[in-house]
Amino acid sequence: MRIGLSWDVDRFESANTGWEEIVAEAQAADRMGFQSFWIREGREAATDCSAPSIFLTYLSQKTKSAQLRIGARRVTRALPAHIAEEVAVLDTFARGRAGLAFAPASRQGVPPGHVHEMIEFVTAAWAADEIRYRGEFLRFPSHTPDTAPRGVSTPEAEGAYLPQWEWGPETPDFLSITPKPYFARTPVNVEIDDDETLEWAARAGVSPMVGAELPTNEAAERLARYRSLADAAGRSRCEVEAVLERRIVLDGAGDERTLGGSPQDVLNAIRALRGRTAISHFVWRRDRATPMDLYRFASEVQLLLQA
Amino acid sequence: MEFWTTSIGLSKMRPMPGALADGYENYVRGAIEAERLGFDGYGSGEHHFMYDEFIPLPLQALAAAAAVTSRVRLSTNAMLLPLYDPMEAAEIAATLDVLSKGRVSLGLGMGYRPYEFDGFGTAKRTRGARLREAMEVLRLATSQETFSYDGEHYRYENESLFPRPVQRPIDMWFCGGTSLQGARRAGRAGLSYWLANSPFDHTKRIVAEYRRAGREAGFADSQLRVASFKDVCIGNTMEAAEGLRKVLMESFYDEHILGYGYLVDEDGRNVYDPSKQHPLYRRFVESLYCGTIEMVVEELKRYEELGVEMVFLPSQQRELIAKEILPEFRK
Repeated sequence: MRIGLSWDVDRFESANTGWEEIVAEAQAADRMGFQSFWIREGREAATDCSAPSIFLTYLSQKTKSAQLRIGARRVTRALPAHIAEEVAVLDTFARGRAGLAFAPASRQGVPPGHVHEMIEFVTAAWAADEIRYRGEFLRFPSHTPDTAPRGVSTPEAEGAYLPQWEWGPETPDFLSITPKPYFARTPVNVEIDDDETLEWAARAGVSPMVGAELPTNEAAERLARYRSLADAAGRSRCEVEAVLERRIVLDGAGDERTLGGSPQDVLNAIRALRGRTAISHFVWRRDRATPMDLYRFASEVQLLLQA
Repeated sequence: MEFWTTSIGLSKMRPMPGALADGYENYVRGAIEAERLGFDGYGSGEHHFMYDEFIPLPLQALAAAAAVTSRVRLSTNAMLLPLYDPMEAAEIAATLDVLSKGRVSLGLGMGYRPYEFDGFGTAKRTRGARLREAMEVLRLATSQETFSYDGEHYRYENESLFPRPVQRPIDMWFCGGTSLQGARRAGRAGLSYWLANSPFDHTKRIVAEYRRAGREAGFADSQLRVASFKDVCIGNTMEAAEGLRKVLMESFYDEHILGYGYLVDEDGRNVYDPSKQHPLYRRFVESLYCGTIEMVVEELKRYEELGVEMVFLPSQQRELIAKEILPEFRK
């Protein structure tokens, strides 16, 4: 099981000082063997990060090993091509450590189909060369006609080859998003708070994620339901990475959203959740924890999860 | 006068094939080197959907540069603002401004390649108006706690920018090419003006027109800042310097000029596949200044006397420039 970290940023007084703490902690955690860092897109507090790809590209030069995951990405402000590009650029700077997770549609105030189309678009943009996309919410390039096939389409194999520098003022019907990610399969998750997205992701083989906002019992139920639907659809467990994010209080009391108790209690709780949900990636949402907690978790919980 | 520069590596180059990830590493090392050599700024450009994988998001490249430097300013040259939602651009810039402790300078251009506009769903004919409106949104977003804006292309109501940048407002430059039309537009709006490569005499005309338009619109001289791209080719002889210019044209600029309509006529129209005798092509070639060290110093002093407060120099011959040119301006 992979173990990662994400951060609650609203506890900081300012982004200027708070983000420095996150960078320092990520550097320490990278050395301790934590395997992923998640920066979530947010716009509610002055310390929120509205452009996680910038933060993570900065972090790519400060860390060596951990994956760098864009969390809670929204589809409402950034243009689709920008989202595909930012992940590919991050992946190239980080030599294959990038990943992307979308926020649930209900938290963004958009129909679930909008998020689904974005996932189809970015994964096709990374995998294929020239593409076009016609959906209900996205169209790429923008002059793609209503007669184009729904979803992703690619050019006919035949046809005149025209190098890019001979296009002149004309725009071709298909464009290629560049650069491509460093690795062929960049991890993409979607938060499955919405039933429609949960069912779509399970059938489509898109990796699920449940964030720290949902109570642990509900999180486990949703991940278990996802797995059951995916099994029924004939999807392999190996093709997706189910991610669960929780807060942790070592040597303290937990609650419905927080795992608490001794390191052994936390270890047992994560093991039990893994058995119930088939998660393969656990993310610790850091809030009031201390550097010593990080070290204790790395030595007393993380390693033993594999034992 | 300040000196800013960049490095190659953020795209693949036909004359020098190599792995893109190695190029990105080279770019990051270049930032460290630029700071060590005494340059004042380090930049990145922007293009999309390119076969050579040109960097599409300059502020992201600068985020990598920010992580390994502490002094140089981090500049886009240029960021194609009409291809962004202005608040998206503000968020990206503000995030980098916080991480870099206030070192971001936004060189903002309108773009010119039709397929880039089509890829982002923006009508190319609206690019000038969009750039001006978006720059105003950026100014408001980075200087006020909450703002509203009601423009022809963009509307925001009670909007707030998170995170708040260190610079209030963030440093911005209008990259207006070398047309008189662009100079007037920047002057009338009181925008700091960053010229493209241009021979000195033309630069002088453009700067005069920019300042005239700015003063007429009521802006003080101190508000009318000027910067310029200035490619220089240094040789022990003119022949050697012109040889370097020939390599630079053939390996980089020719494709942009002949293939993508980089040159723009006085009416703002892109010129595709011009002959090498075309006046605009000739003017561009002349704008890449060739000379010995002494001649380049003298040329750049003329820019300084003109009130140009920053020149953006090329990545090639960076060490030579740092050793022989920069000290002449630090005395």
